[in-house]
Amino acid sequence: MTTMERQIRSAAQQLLANGQVSCVIGYERSPRGNVRPAFVYQAGDVDRLVWDCDCNLDLVTYVHNFKTPPRRGVPVPKVAIVVRPCDARAINLLIYEQQIKRENVQVIGVTCTGTEVRGQQRLACSLCHERVPVVYDVLIESDVEPDLPVAQEEYADIGEMENWTPAQRLEYWTHEFDRCIRCYACRQACPGCYCFECVAEQVDPHWTSIALELPEKHFFHVMRAFHLAGRCVACDACEAACPMDIPLSKLNRKLAKEVEALFGYRTGDDPRTAPPLATFSPDERLRM
Amino acid sequence: MAEDTFEPKIVGFLCNWCSYAGADLAGTSRMRYPQNLRIIRVPCSGRVDPLFVLKAFQDGADGVMVLGCHPGDCHYQQGNYFAQRRYALMHRLLEFTGLEPDRLFVEWVSASEGKKFADVTTAFTDRIRSIGPSPLKRQPAAAPVLAAQEVTQ
Repeated sequence: MTTMERQIRSAAQQLLANGQVSCVIGYERSPRGNVRPAFVYQAGDVDRLVWDCDCNLDLVTYVHNFKTPPRRGVPVPKVAIVVRPCDARAINLLIYEQQIKRENVQVIGVTCTGTEVRGQQRLACSLCHERVPVVYDVLIESDVEPDLPVAQEEYADIGEMENWTPAQRLEYWTHEFDRCIRCYACRQACPGCYCFECVAEQVDPHWTSIALELPEKHFFHVMRAFHLAGRCVACDACEAACPMDIPLSKLNRKLAKEVEALFGYRTGDDPRTAPPLATFSPDERLRM
Repeated sequence: MAEDTFEPKIVGFLCNWCSYAGADLAGTSRMRYPQNLRIIRVPCSGRVDPLFVLKAFQDGADGVMVLGCHPGDCHYQQGNYFAQRRYALMHRLLEFTGLEPDRLFVEWVSASEGKKFADVTTAFTDRIRSIGPSPLKRQPAAAPVLAAQEVTQ
């Protein structure tokens, strides 16, 4: 057990024992050794919680399960969540979008040193310079001195793709989208995708059919990326969840790049600033 | 379809208050513009969800136009400002996924600009005609190939 795990467990134990929260959402190891989300309701169960470089899910997704009271006449349950710096931005986003109230969520912030997928450091983590979450109630200090990533251009791969011809990009994305099985794991893993009824599954109006054809897959992926334009926190949970290894983060990062260039906005800095598509400035004239 | 007989399918989302009236003016003034345009009247350019554009491409459009009131002239005060931000991003995203950037066209056309409406429609249709059919168009299912055995029987 690392010192970070000890700190997480003692923080969770305290919150549950004091009755400050009814549930702590954290990471645990499954019997097969994978890291999965854990929902701890009893102070005695906190020893299940773990923290290491395999924790690549965004647990803020699960806060949507605690938005409404379990039955009438009962208050909305309070929960504690273990968050990394990227996830903390999702908390600010959800507070702005009035999905959660700050007082109903206890944030256990982790000083993150980067996470991995199948032993490989993730691209998002290798580019991330953030160590301390933007919002937290309890901060879990890291015991190792993080080796900060070497300074590199954040959108180097996106810039390279922009130099391709449209035909090359189409070929690339046709090849990538072709593998999509439309399991919607990317949507489920995303803290920003929380519509009750997703347009991909809506029947009335019927936006898109369930066919596994290129037009439908293109529709779904562009729609998914665009619904997160200016809202994506770059946690890359979608890409980690994808069973077909589609580089979804490229779409998200392309939009993040444009949002940064056009509006100078970064998601989740604070819970009061509107995302760029939820507001406008009368003087601007953009190339459309 | 042979290149010289290709006639593009173009969907135009026109704002009721400015661009639709502009198209009306073009019609009443007997201006010529291509018949390839299918006009859909919407209350405001802010009503045109980027989903509409994607749906049009999914269902076989070769080009999509979104025409709205000039900034500051919106009937609903702010609809076209929201549309402007949305399409600035949408255009770049579609371009990134491999669609030719020319296939989506957003412009401000007021009720008095019948000439401008006819001009942009003609120019846009010509551009799409030169680019060719949309790559996202559904490919017609190939005719079933009979096995040699079945043919001989």
